[in-house]
Amino acid sequence: MTRVQTGTIGVLLTTLALNCAALAGEKTAWRLFVSDHSEPIVNVIDLLKQEKIETFATKAPARLYRSKTGRTVLAVQRGADLVTAIDSGISFEDHGDHGDIKVKAPRLLGVEIAGKQPSHVVEYGGEIAIFFDGEGRARIASERMILESKSVLRETAPGMPHHGVAVANDRYTLISEPNVKNSDALPIGIKIVDKSGAQIGGVHSCPDLHGEATSGNILVFSCATGLLVASMDGSTPQVKRLPYAAALPSGKTTTMLGGRGLQYFLGNYGSDKVVLMEPTEAEPFRLVTLPMRRVDFAVDPVRAKFAYIFTEDGRLHRLDVVAGKLDGSLRVTGPYSMDDHWNDPRPRLAVAADKIAVTDPARGVVALVDATSLTKAGEISLGGRPFNIVAVGGSGQTHDD
Amino acid sequence: MLKTLRTVVLAGLVSLSPLAAGAASTKKLNVVASFSIIADFARHVGGDRIDLRSLVGANGDPHVYEPRPADVRTIAAADIVLVNGLRFEGFLRRLIEASGTKAPVVELTKGVRPLKSTEQAHDRERSGHHHHHGDYDPHAWQAVPNARIYVKNIVDAFCSIDPPGCTTYETNAKAYDATLSVLDDEIRTTIARIPPHKRVVITAHDAFGYFAHEYGLTFLAPEGLSTDAEAPASDIASLIRQIKRDKVAAVFGENITDPRLVQRIAAETGSKIGGELYSDALSRPDGPAATYVDMMKHNASTIRKAIAPDVP
Ligand SMILES: [Zn+2]
Repeated sequence: MTRVQTGTIGVLLTTLALNCAALAGEKTAWRLFVSDHSEPIVNVIDLLKQEKIETFATKAPARLYRSKTGRTVLAVQRGADLVTAIDSGISFEDHGDHGDIKVKAPRLLGVEIAGKQPSHVVEYGGEIAIFFDGEGRARIASERMILESKSVLRETAPGMPHHGVAVANDRYTLISEPNVKNSDALPIGIKIVDKSGAQIGGVHSCPDLHGEATSGNILVFSCATGLLVASMDGSTPQVKRLPYAAALPSGKTTTMLGGRGLQYFLGNYGSDKVVLMEPTEAEPFRLVTLPMRRVDFAVDPVRAKFAYIFTEDGRLHRLDVVAGKLDGSLRVTGPYSMDDHWNDPRPRLAVAADKIAVTDPARGVVALVDATSLTKAGEISLGGRPFNIVAVGGSGQTHDD
Repeated sequence: MLKTLRTVVLAGLVSLSPLAAGAASTKKLNVVASFSIIADFARHVGGDRIDLRSLVGANGDPHVYEPRPADVRTIAAADIVLVNGLRFEGFLRRLIEASGTKAPVVELTKGVRPLKSTEQAHDRERSGHHHHHGDYDPHAWQAVPNARIYVKNIVDAFCSIDPPGCTTYETNAKAYDATLSVLDDEIRTTIARIPPHKRVVITAHDAFGYFAHEYGLTFLAPEGLSTDAEAPASDIASLIRQIKRDKVAAVFGENITDPRLVQRIAAETGSKIGGELYSDALSRPDGPAATYVDMMKHNASTIRKAIAPDVP
């Protein structure tokens, strides 16, 4: 019927099933993985039953990263200098004319990737690069290896400690170039190294590098002056600079998301604006002003033309990325001021099937919003301070084997 | 939830409201083609009565194309969308859905006798790679008789939504069809000169099934029907054994695929690289396959020169 590309795209099958009379054994499963801000745990929620099914202990409060396939969730524990891996328990297999879903209990994989101050995690072409700020190096793993409980494929040479980032494919690694005068400052650019560690070409300048995202085959880094746009398709990575348009007010992007299903990027731009970026267009930047300061945002992998932005007044806004306009909003939580410490617990978003999940750390719940109607769809009580959240799942067929 | 893709088969087109006759005479028909080869057909039929855009441009790979918000706007503004069908354009559904377009989406392979995907390609896709076209090989334009059906379908589609332009479309298509007929004969003549035992070649992805079927060649491909699926090592190993056994004369790169795989196969089998074939995208205007006709001539003559250099 169609391909199942990832867990989230798997939801397409639900729709297709309506057009396809003889789809026996159709199954849908969605799970939310939610870490706590103060406690070292990761809760797992069955979204359909709306209940907690598992709690995993970590060594420090974790930031969560889900792999593109949704099979693996990485718990990045900066406080414990450790990244651990969880098998989400939901996997898909494409059989061409249909996709199979397998649902098992989530489990810790026993994979521990240790290193000083793990920070950004970036997946590209099946390889997951974890940057360790305290060592200025990246450790690279493949999802397949992680699922076999083997962790690191390779690592880059140690460098000067800095808050950096790396992106790897099977041949090259793009890695941030630190500011040698001041390692507390953000990186100054990106360099490309091959598998032997040899540098290819010079440093691609990117002052105040912070924030990266992929969408399809394009990878972007945000800099003080604009974007670095990289494509890893060819025999060597191609890197181009895309300066911010002169018409934009002063500001920059420091956090970016890549569109899923449509190729675009969404970045913050100052505290109360976001910018839609389409690197291949003649006018690549579209600024959208928010009613309040931004707390978090997420792209919708199923309804490709929408992204969601949460603001400090506790409202969830829907952004039509084609029109470049907010087209609806809903109050979900109480207010969360951005004035206090940057690392205070504030809501985070994840899109799961037709629900948008919003953590509400002040009340210890995960609020659910219906993505189609933008109305409240219940909440799940977890206690503690639910913080980082990722969703995995989709629909597929099951066989009685 | 997503709605069903509004793919309109040609029979259904007549029921769609034609453009207002007055508007049609002044305003050009806004035509969107999914990729460059279809755009070339549309240009020949539509001439200056249409404004034409191609979503995937020259040398672009429709298999892995990522649509952009700008494409959604393009589709939203279209009067008609021309696509290949046979599940070739994997990106189409989300694009149509996101655009909310009411424009007819016309599958040009309607009326083509589709070839089954090869079992080999099927098994490979089954081994965990996620890109799949479906049960039929979508690369139907690689046989010129099918291209003539595409053109006929375009005429029908344009006439349905722009009746005042119908005569023009029919006249344009008739001239182009004559060119295609000559092209078809030329390719048959070219291939006929190659001794049958030499007619085995390697390409990067399995895009030439219709060419092979129509003109009598055997193509072996490590990558399967889609460029998106990486060939497993075991498949490559068996392909290499087959190449040695069948004494394959040449391997060919493609404009849309990474050359390294083909280079490796050439190196390991001692076969030579015969050049670059154009499968799913035209070249840029200054290249050897700027139009469909040029592409087919280029492919046929490149193959002939590589595997039978002594044959005129
Ligand atoms: Zn193809």
